[in-house]
Amino acid sequence: MNADERTVQLGQPVGHDEEVVVIVGSGAGGGTVAHELTARGIRCVVLEAGPYLKPEDYENDEWAAFNQMAWLDNRTASGPYRLARDFPNLPAWIVKAVGGSTTHWSGATPRFREYEFRARSYYGGLEGANLLDWPITLTDLAPYYDRAEIAIGSTHRHGRPPLPANNNYKVFANGAEKVGYKFYATGPYGTNAEPYDGRPASIQDGFNFQGDKHTSKWSTAVREIPRAIATGKCELRPGSQAVQVTHDASGRVDAVLYLDEDGNLHRQAAKVVCVAGNSIETPRLLLMSASALHPDGLANSSGQVGRNYMRHTTGSVYARFEQPVHMYRGETMAGIIADEARLDSSRGFLGGYYMETLALGPAFLAAFVEPGSWGPQFTTILDGYDHTAGMWIVGEDMPQESNRVTLNPAVQDQWGLPAPDVHFQDHPNDVAMREHGYSRADLLYEAVGALGTHHTPPYPATHNLGTCRMSERPEDGVLDKWGQAHDVPGLFVSDGSVMTTGAAANPTLTIVALAIRQAEHIAETLGSGS
Amino acid sequence: MAEATHESVISPRARNALVRLLRVAYPHPRFPDGPYERTADAVINQVEASLWHRLALTRGLESLDDAAGGDFAALDDEAALSLLRGIEDAGFFAFIRGVAVVSLYDDHETWELLGYEGASYEQGGYLDRGFNDLDWLPSPRIEEYAGPDQLVEVATDDEIAATEGSHR
Ligand SMILES: Cc1cc2nc3c(=O)[nH]c(=O)nc-3n(C[C@H](O)[C@H](O)[C@H](O)COP(=O)(O)OP(=O)(O)OC[C@H]3O[C@@H](n4cnc5c(N)ncnc54)[C@H](O)[C@@H]3O)c2cc1C
Repeated sequence: MNADERTVQLGQPVGHDEEVVVIVGSGAGGGTVAHELTARGIRCVVLEAGPYLKPEDYENDEWAAFNQMAWLDNRTASGPYRLARDFPNLPAWIVKAVGGSTTHWSGATPRFREYEFRARSYYGGLEGANLLDWPITLTDLAPYYDRAEIAIGSTHRHGRPPLPANNNYKVFANGAEKVGYKFYATGPYGTNAEPYDGRPASIQDGFNFQGDKHTSKWSTAVREIPRAIATGKCELRPGSQAVQVTHDASGRVDAVLYLDEDGNLHRQAAKVVCVAGNSIETPRLLLMSASALHPDGLANSSGQVGRNYMRHTTGSVYARFEQPVHMYRGETMAGIIADEARLDSSRGFLGGYYMETLALGPAFLAAFVEPGSWGPQFTTILDGYDHTAGMWIVGEDMPQESNRVTLNPAVQDQWGLPAPDVHFQDHPNDVAMREHGYSRADLLYEAVGALGTHHTPPYPATHNLGTCRMSERPEDGVLDKWGQAHDVPGLFVSDGSVMTTGAAANPTLTIVALAIRQAEHIAETLGSGS
Repeated sequence: MAEATHESVISPRARNALVRLLRVAYPHPRFPDGPYERTADAVINQVEASLWHRLALTRGLESLDDAAGGDFAALDDEAALSLLRGIEDAGFFAFIRGVAVVSLYDDHETWELLGYEGASYEQGGYLDRGFNDLDWLPSPRIEEYAGPDQLVEVATDDEIAATEGSHR
């Protein structure tokens, strides 16, 4: 790449001594903040640990795509949850590439509900749960939800038409109707049903989780990052992993130290730092940034950095039918039932959950449908592959202090840095919700003639939340209502770690809405020179 | 020297036992031998990287015959399955399963046999190739519900006023 090509691809170079806004991570949160700030003329450097892959690089192949883009650096899973046994080095499915996990996300974009911002008030002092009300309400976020839906191009919103029904949805929606559900549709979903925002309509190729070669699906890799670069105010540095955030004598952030692809250490000066590495790497980076002023990790005066890790209460149900389904054809998750996404403790648990269509290819189905299983019970599931319909259950899980990300002193990554450990245990409320979801999914599929169903346990977490939560009071959490550290001026967190509680909805729309709101706040603060 | 040891590691007989083991552990009556053969080779390739896995696999496969009272490959399906059930926790068998569950189902012939069509983008996706060809159920609504009912976000008994003072 010559200098001109480099500038087109990666943006106008920024000097390492120039104090800019440094953004760590280019996914839903980081990409959005970069776009919003640079659109307002504020200079940014985006440090992204992964490579800059383009849609033509993406693979229509589950394992190949996973190995191409997933974050596979050493990580450990611990605690009593089953995942720690089945996938001890893969607590989460997070992408390491420009665009972050929005490259592999599918696109379900429901909003959080009003009561979910006030979990402590509504759920009371549920034993074992470290509940807190958010420092903001739905009313605060509503205008930013609008902007996020417009950015993402969510179907069923702001004039965007719905996606058509694919085969998996036909089974799902007919079952929903039969059991009396009403609030189902093919969205809201962040993929174009018709051309929008310079990107084409979906061709229903079925490879949502692998990166969309057609670019119909929103990701920060196809929208926010290229637009930020085009402003001339942003330099994207792929292959750059932040390893420490530093502060000056007054305690204000002043730089980010990062490694390039060859392991060389660099320093980028910063007037503001926005950390958006997703909810495992973000607390890891803060913990690795401990200093004499912050002996327990940067921004950790509350002791809450890394705690209250949430992964949503999930489970999948696969149902076998007499007739063919071909669930893998078409948009993977363009099917959402909201009827159970509500608070009704008479169901035996607090919080709600969504049901969403889900399809895996045989490769991933075999690996994840019943990990460790073999023999005829196992192969029966695969033999029914083309006659199978699938759904995902995704609901609010309870924040617990002991569910946490820590530095594992015994395991290092390829750079010699301590690997993160993700410790997790279901709360009894999570278990009750999952069981309810399984039983409702069974009823739904049986209503349209299922021959049998299989209950699949949670996958490596795609929704990772809460490890740097926002709180009204500094002693209860890490960040204020703008996502700025209570105890480190200039340090912001801009990803799903900020969530005070997890709500039932898939998180990305909310991450984007919060990031837009945060960027506006940062721009105002920098503009006023404070 | 190392090479010589390695060459002799997986004898044709042991490989044969491995193919048979895979078919018993992952029985798909309609599958030909191809996917199982390729999976066996994937297992064998994987052990090349690790002396420990190599030793464990070799010893494990050899001893299958002993456990079978002579010839594992000659056992009928039921007898072979019950033998494998008995050694479920054996390290070598767990290792084989770990590789097999990935390889066997990442095999393109397997995909075809199971009715999965693989990469689709180059063929224009499924837009004109059956993404919505299911015809044994009616076409459902794709729009959001627009009828008279409202989703009740919070049940009456869970309203804050109702729960205040409760000790939940
Ligand atoms: C298969 C799959 C399906 C999904 N489907 C949905 C869905 O339907 N709806 C929904 O709402 N959500 C979905 N999600 C979740 C969604 O992708 C995430 O919620 C969202 O992308 C999180 O945004 P983020 O900014 O927190 O992190 P990410 O988007 O993961 O971005 C983090 C980025 O930071 C980089 N990074 C991390 N640490 C460092 C470091 N130290 N230095 C430099 N860079 C670093 C990473 O490489 C990564 O690129 C899905 C996820 C997956 C994997």
